[in-house]
Amino acid sequence: MKKKILVIDDDLNVRDYLVSLFKDNGYDVSIAGDVKEGLTVAKKNIPDLITLDIEMPGEWGPRFYRQLAQDPELKNIPVIVISGLSGHQYAVVKAVASLSKPFDREELLKIVNDTLN
Amino acid sequence: MFKKILFATSATAASDHAARVAFNIARSYQSALNIFHVLGVPSRGYSQVVVDVKTKERVDVDEDYLAWVNEDIKTYYAKYLDERLHYTIDVAVGLPAREILRQAKKLTPDLIVIGGSTGDEDETVYKKSSAGTTLQKVAKASHCPVLVVNRPAASFWGGLSNIVFGTDFSKTSEKAFDFAMKVAKALDCEMHVFHALDISPLHGGRMLSQDEIEQQIREATRKIRALYGARLKELSHYSMDVWEGIPYVEIVKYARDKHADLLIMAHHSRKLPSQDIRMGGNVEQVIVRAGCPVISINK
Repeated sequence: MKKKILVIDDDLNVRDYLVSLFKDNGYDVSIAGDVKEGLTVAKKNIPDLITLDIEMPGEWGPRFYRQLAQDPELKNIPVIVISGLSGHQYAVVKAVASLSKPFDREELLKIVNDTLN
Repeated sequence: MFKKILFATSATAASDHAARVAFNIARSYQSALNIFHVLGVPSRGYSQVVVDVKTKERVDVDEDYLAWVNEDIKTYYAKYLDERLHYTIDVAVGLPAREILRQAKKLTPDLIVIGGSTGDEDETVYKKSSAGTTLQKVAKASHCPVLVVNRPAASFWGGLSNIVFGTDFSKTSEKAFDFAMKVAKALDCEMHVFHALDISPLHGGRMLSQDEIEQQIREATRKIRALYGARLKELSHYSMDVWEGIPYVEIVKYARDKHADLLIMAHHSRKLPSQDIRMGGNVEQVIVRAGCPVISINK
C-alpha cells in the first residue's frame, strides 16, 4: 500500500512541484493551502508524513503543529518543515527536518524515504 | 488591546525576529506602530560625530543623515509596510536603552517590542556592546510591558492565543497576572499558570529529599489555586501547574510543552546589570531561551 503524504503550503507552484515529486516517487499525495484546510485533510485522510510551510495566510505552520500534537490520532505523524523564512529550522522543535526554499529535491526525497521506510 | 506599540530596532538581522512579531501584532490588532531606531552613540559628549550601529563608521549626524537613516529603515522593512499599517519612524542619537526609555515616556505605548542578539558570528557594534544590556535595562526600567523576541523560534507563531504565565507569587507577579488576564480576555486566549519550584542545592543550600520536594509542590499548587483559581474561571480554557527543577529551564520546557505563543512574567530586579553579567536572573534566562515571545512586566 502506498504511503500518504500531505503537503501544506499556500504557494501553488511549490504545492504542484511537491505533488509531482512525491507522486513520481511512488507516494500518494494530498494537499492543503492553509492550516485549517490542512487539519481537515489530515483528519479525513490520516497521512504518514506531512510537509509544512511556516508563513501562510491566517494561521502559521507552528499553530498547525500545535493542533496536530494535541490530536491523539495525528500527534505521531512526522512533519518536515519547508520554508523560505530565515531561522525556520527553529520553528517546529519536533519536526524531523527543516528545509529552506528553494530546497534540494534529492535531499528532500532522502529525508522522506528515510522517515517513511 | 495594544493600541500603541513602540518597536525598538537596530534595523539589522538581530532585530528581524522581533520585527516579524511587532509587525504581525500591529497588523492583527490595528495598532499604531512606532519604529524607533537609535542610530549610534556620540563619539564624545554632545559631539555630532556618531559611531553608526549598523556600519560601525563614524558619521556626522545632520538632518540629511537622519533623513537617509529614516529611508534606510523604510527600505529595510519595506515588505511589512503598506497602507493598512499605521506606522511612524523615529531616529535618535544616544545610548540605546536611555533613548528607548525616553521615547517610551514620550509616546506612552501599551507595549515595547525589542529583539535580542542573534548570537551569530556577525557582531555589529550594536550587538557586541549594547544589545544584551539594552534589553536588560529597558526590561528593568520600563513603565509598560516589554515584549522580547530573542530567538528566531519565538517569531513564527503569527498571533497570540495561548499564554503561559510564570509566577513566583511575588507582588510584581500579581501585576503581571492582571496583565496576563487582560490579554487573555481581550484576545480570547488559553492561559496556563505555572510555578517552577527551585530545587537546586545552590538555591536552598542543601539537597532536598523527594518527600520535601513533593510537599513543596503540594503547597505551591494550593497557593496557585488560592491566588489565581477564582479569576481564571473567567476564561474558557486554563490550567495550573507546578514543576520542580531549575526555574528558567522548567518555564521554557513548560511553554514548549504547552505550545505557548506568549510567555508573561514579572521582572523584579531594579538593579542595573553589572558590566560582566550579561544575563542574570530567571526572567533574563527565559527571555534568552524561550521559543515564544516573552513579556516582562516591571511595575
